[in-house]
Amino acid sequence: MNNAGQFRDHFRELIEAYALGSLDAEERAAVGAHLATGCEECTRALEDARLLVSQLAYLAPEAAPLDMLRGRLLQTVRAEAAAAKAYTSAISKSAIPLWMWGAVAAVLFFALYNAYEAHSLRETIRKTQEALTAQMELQQESARRLAWAQREALILTDPRSMKIAMSAGTKGMPELQATWHHSMGIVVSGQKLPMPSGNRTLQLWLIPKAPGAKPMPSMTLRPDADGTFDLLVANPPDSPSGTKSLAITEEPAGGSPQPTSTPIWVGAVAGK
Amino acid sequence: MLYRRRSSPNVFLAVLTPSESNEVSPDAALVNRLLQRDVSAFEDLYDRHSRIVYTLVLRILQQASTAEEVVQDVFLHLWRNAAQYDGSRGPFLPWLLTLARNRALDQLRLKSERQRRREEQAEELPPVVAIPDFEGSLDEKRRAKRVRELVALLNPKQKRAIELAYFEGLSHAEIANALQEPLGTVKGWIRNGLLRLKEGLQATS
Repeated sequence: MNNAGQFRDHFRELIEAYALGSLDAEERAAVGAHLATGCEECTRALEDARLLVSQLAYLAPEAAPLDMLRGRLLQTVRAEAAAAKAYTSAISKSAIPLWMWGAVAAVLFFALYNAYEAHSLRETIRKTQEALTAQMELQQESARRLAWAQREALILTDPRSMKIAMSAGTKGMPELQATWHHSMGIVVSGQKLPMPSGNRTLQLWLIPKAPGAKPMPSMTLRPDADGTFDLLVANPPDSPSGTKSLAITEEPAGGSPQPTSTPIWVGAVAGK
Repeated sequence: MLYRRRSSPNVFLAVLTPSESNEVSPDAALVNRLLQRDVSAFEDLYDRHSRIVYTLVLRILQQASTAEEVVQDVFLHLWRNAAQYDGSRGPFLPWLLTLARNRALDQLRLKSERQRRREEQAEELPPVVAIPDFEGSLDEKRRAKRVRELVALLNPKQKRAIELAYFEGLSHAEIANALQEPLGTVKGWIRNGLLRLKEGLQATS
């Protein structure tokens, strides 16, 4: 027999005592270490020995526990089983069923769709409002232009209006035509006017008849790109009877309270 | 977790092993139901085994009230930790008896030096036996009677040595001291006595 075989036989002799628990600490540790090596023969022997040792229980004088013990145990066990069942039930009840997730998803989708629709609708309304506003502004401008044109037409066509020729002091400059209606205002118009330099503009002045009186400033206007000049002054600062002449100067943008340059056009207002 | 008896090359086991190789033991089936928190399975297991468990524990502790406490503790442990029983490693009753013995010896040796040794042993206990049990060949009363008869045939000191080891958890040295016998003699008695018990049970089967 080799060393391994002797070793195994030595432990085999201790197996029953190991199962019984009667080995001292040193022997017990040695057997435990040997079993830990995976020795199949000793492991099987230990299983047999444990079965054998368990039979020693029958050496004890027979006895029976009181029924009260059974009752106490079952009371405890039933309570724990009920608690476990209640817990399981609570868990399952608290779980959200699949159909509810579907409903939640549908509601969320509906809400998102509604939000998208609402946003689209708001955007459409905003654009419509903007278009409407633009249209209204366009209409107002058209109406204003129409009223202006009508007023201008009345001034120009009314036989009571006074025609004032405004000639230029500089040679080659086109002549302007002013028409003054006593209640509708003054229209000054001309063609092919040169564009004032920079941001400068043309400003109309009413020169009073009263000696020493200062020129009264009126509207400003830059000619169109094609040189057309068409100025309507609805509320002149003075009446034709108090005005000696009309003059137009070139002034900085926004006009001036007093002329800062020599008049380019001047036209005498005939006294009535 | 079903216990299925399997054949073994060991003569002792082969004799005790029923011919059905895949038979599921009633105890293993009940333990399986315990895992589903089946109270009726617990009742059945208690009714089947509480007497022998109480008998063993009372013999160790010698006090009925303490024995009942330990039995209660053992069965509640079973209820709460049924998964600890591995049916593939052996029959249920020896596992349960081993658990009960360890709990009773723990109680007996509470706060003593030997208590620590018992705790070390307890950790590796529940995996009891891998194979057959005696239930397949003998009913409990017959088995108890046969075990007593076989042990009664032993030298009285030999029988006493085995009882001191099993019911009181004494080591070889402690038994030798208690019986005033040489250590080697005590070791031989115990091993020889257990082997004779094993042979007697095999012969009975």
